[in-house]
Amino acid sequence: MVKYKKMSKKKLATVWLGGCSGCHMSLLDIDERILDVAKLADIVKSPIVDGKEMPEVDIALVEGSITSDEHFREILHIRKKAKTLIAFGDCAVMTNVTGMRNYFPLKEVFDAAYVNAVSNDTEGQVPGHPSLLKLNDKVVPLQEVVNVDFVIPGCPPSADTIFYVLFEFLNDRLPDLGKAKKLKYG
Amino acid sequence: MNCYMNTIPIIIDDKKLEVDPGKTILEVCRENEIEILTMCHLKGVLDIGACRLCLVEIEGVNKLLSACTTKVAANMIIRTNTDRIKKYQRITTELFFAERNHVCAVCVANGKCELQDLGYKVGLDHIRYPHLFPQCEVDTSHPWYVMDHNRCIMCTRCVRVCNEVEGAHNWDVMNRGHQVRVISDFNSPWGESVTCTSCGKCLHACPTGAIWPKAIVQGQLQKNPGMINELVEKRKMKL
Amino acid sequence: MNRQDLKTIIYAEKKKEETNKYKHKICVCCGAGCISSGSEEVMKKLQEEIKTRGLENEVEVIPTGCMGPCNQGPLMKFLPEYNIYQKVDCSNIAAIVQSQLIEKKPIEDLLLFADSREKPFIDARDDPYFKKQLKIALKNCGHINPERIEDYLVHNGYLALDKVLFEMSPEEVIAEVKQSRIRGRGGAGYPAGLKWETVYKYVNDQKYVICNGDEGDPGAFMDRSVLEGNPHRVLEGMAIAGYAIGANKGYAYIRGEYPLAIKRFELAIKQAKKLGLLGNNILGTTFSFDVEVRIGAGAFVCGEETALIASIEGKRGTPRPRPPFPAESGLWGKPTLINNVETFAAISPIINNGGEWYSEIGTPKSAGTKVFALAGKINYAGLIEVPMGTTLREIVFDIGGGIQNGEEFKAAQTGGPSGGCIPAEHLDVKMDYESLVSLGSIMGSGGLIIMDKSSDMVDVARFFMEFCMDESCGKCVPCRVGTRMMHDLLQKICDNKATQIDLDRLEELAVYVKETSLCGLGGSAPNPLLSTLRHFRKEYESRIVQHD
Repeated sequence: MVKYKKMSKKKLATVWLGGCSGCHMSLLDIDERILDVAKLADIVKSPIVDGKEMPEVDIALVEGSITSDEHFREILHIRKKAKTLIAFGDCAVMTNVTGMRNYFPLKEVFDAAYVNAVSNDTEGQVPGHPSLLKLNDKVVPLQEVVNVDFVIPGCPPSADTIFYVLFEFLNDRLPDLGKAKKLKYG
Repeated sequence: MNCYMNTIPIIIDDKKLEVDPGKTILEVCRENEIEILTMCHLKGVLDIGACRLCLVEIEGVNKLLSACTTKVAANMIIRTNTDRIKKYQRITTELFFAERNHVCAVCVANGKCELQDLGYKVGLDHIRYPHLFPQCEVDTSHPWYVMDHNRCIMCTRCVRVCNEVEGAHNWDVMNRGHQVRVISDFNSPWGESVTCTSCGKCLHACPTGAIWPKAIVQGQLQKNPGMINELVEKRKMKL
Repeated sequence: MNRQDLKTIIYAEKKKEETNKYKHKICVCCGAGCISSGSEEVMKKLQEEIKTRGLENEVEVIPTGCMGPCNQGPLMKFLPEYNIYQKVDCSNIAAIVQSQLIEKKPIEDLLLFADSREKPFIDARDDPYFKKQLKIALKNCGHINPERIEDYLVHNGYLALDKVLFEMSPEEVIAEVKQSRIRGRGGAGYPAGLKWETVYKYVNDQKYVICNGDEGDPGAFMDRSVLEGNPHRVLEGMAIAGYAIGANKGYAYIRGEYPLAIKRFELAIKQAKKLGLLGNNILGTTFSFDVEVRIGAGAFVCGEETALIASIEGKRGTPRPRPPFPAESGLWGKPTLINNVETFAAISPIINNGGEWYSEIGTPKSAGTKVFALAGKINYAGLIEVPMGTTLREIVFDIGGGIQNGEEFKAAQTGGPSGGCIPAEHLDVKMDYESLVSLGSIMGSGGLIIMDKSSDMVDVARFFMEFCMDESCGKCVPCRVGTRMMHDLLQKICDNKATQIDLDRLEELAVYVKETSLCGLGGSAPNPLLSTLRHFRKEYESRIVQHD
């Protein structure tokens, strides 16, 4: 068990934008250490808890890159609500796999997925319902849209790294991935 | 150290050294366990000073010089780890990552990549410049190997190995500026090359996952860049 | 041919000149600028006109190199009266010939600068445009037929070569060049004499002389004009350099975009060889020197000396780290002397008149004269040669005739993509190497682009960055990727989308690229950006937007 100081509980949010949710899986891999986190912070919004609204938070872990108008609005909102915004995982930091569509025009990407896909049993059609989000031409990492306070690269970042960063922030210390030898891409 | 040779005194990072003249600053530093970051340097082939990671400050010289191409001279005072050099190393690394499409998560070299290691060494957690996302080809025409230009950092180690060690000169460089590409023969598919001997030395020379053998997947690449120099040395001995 | 034969030829040609076989000489400018505005047809028409009037035994018509005010072309000069006609076209030739040759009075309305000056100068030499200039490198440009070696010989051509071969030792030649304090005219301004001496000191039985004519700066055409207007002068300079450093082979690397310069230079080589002024045993001495032309394929970076050498060797034209410098290990690993066209063009006057004479021209640190190519929003664009230390104001207003349409001067861009901008408050800067560097610009090869207030300085920086980005050879990372990144950031500023963070990053990158690039191209690529930031920062800041 890690020792912790007594202080008022912080609020923590985790958000899932244009990513595969692998980073959240890795977050769950911190296993019983989540109890240490829970003693220092309330997880108020996350894909893994039941909270729809984004309240004011101390720390927001944002997984994934900005791929659509929806994400764009969301990240601006998160930036307003979060004191510390952490880009969480390679997609959020440098677009990673999500950004691999950037080498092609958007239409080609849609056609590959919906029209020419081998698994299409009927004639494919690109979905275009107005209620659907609209993909941006280029996928960009978080820092190109908002100021990011800290980054955790890795695809996914290891559970140890995630816990290290969270624990440092929750104890009001600034983590240093380079010094802690926890840098990892891919 | 060769006792028949006269040595010359130099100072690197406040460390007084007696070294053989004729050696490069990089050789001297490596012998004395002073870390110099490199990317285009490969022991066994000629140095070209292209990656600019090994730049050092030399007292009395107003330019930064590349350690791999600069020979030591008597009483040189060299600094390898000033804040300025560290800052430039970081920018260079960022530019490497931003230039082409480096997706570590799907790369065969993940975990064994010199570019990744470089990033870790300079403490790079994110790239401040926008990625360029160029459209790059993946040449799978060779029966055994793949050339993935997305991962190429233009160190031209493959070009030099192919030319200097194998003697085939299959690889060369075309275009200018950010559009440079390593090409096979006169920009024909690698599989149609008339010069390639399929020796595979370029695979071992490549610092990233740009050239790799078919039938491996993410993170499985095995390479041995040291074998290039071994080969060169053995050939000198005419074994 | 030996020395005596040469003297005989010169004597015979001079005699011809003195006996006044022709009463009039008409020089028609056939530099690339005037040719493109139709001077070749003008000359043809002029010859016809003279023939129909039966004046062919009185009047000699010759094509010459550049006369200077290129945007007033085609130019036609009548000697000995020194009346220059501007914008001549086939329709007014008959009138000019009638008035000038028959009625013996010039048509004032058609004279040079007649449309922009209150009253044109009848004798063009009185015009401040020419009065303020001092032509050394361009001395014979516009006076002689560049395609006739005899024309050059009459004007003391190859006399300097004759002098060094028979009266001077290589050491003395180098001492003379050192005394002249001439600095390399290619841009960096390294003392030429020192370079010659360094190459001379390396002992090797094979050395090379290279003439760098790969002039690539946008808006610059000094080398082209010298090569087109007086190729023999350059050839002579190269031969003298070969004698001084102990080389027997020279290469002239001329960019492929200069077909006329290449043609005339190759012709000059042929003629010089025929007269024994080039080739084996020049003028009967033991000195042999041969020159070959190498044509550049359009890469800006090949103007960098190590890239140029690689290109001559038949390799990809990319620079390599220095040291070793070409003086030690250059073309095919041999000691090599590389100088610019303009430097070689200044050698024979230095030998003829002495180094001291040359060193007294200009400023203490920058001796001699400099050729500038005036371009942009200036009234009299073209080629000028002025003593070092002439102020920018004199160049722009006295020589260049001020800004087009009476607009306000905003900035002058010197040194092309490697240089910087000089704002209006520094109009009185002396044009020499040191003063320009202190303003964050460079002398460069001599391109001088004048801008008025319609020029957007951020866009100027973006333009030059785009040029460097396209012309980077792609070998080293800072230049290959750094110029692209800087260009993208500048584009972002131009599009009014950049934030303060972008501007900070741009500045950081600029310093980084400047200090870490492998060669001079990358090392100077941020200069236009840095100098516009220095003098016109407000233009950048006014376009910065706030981050969301």
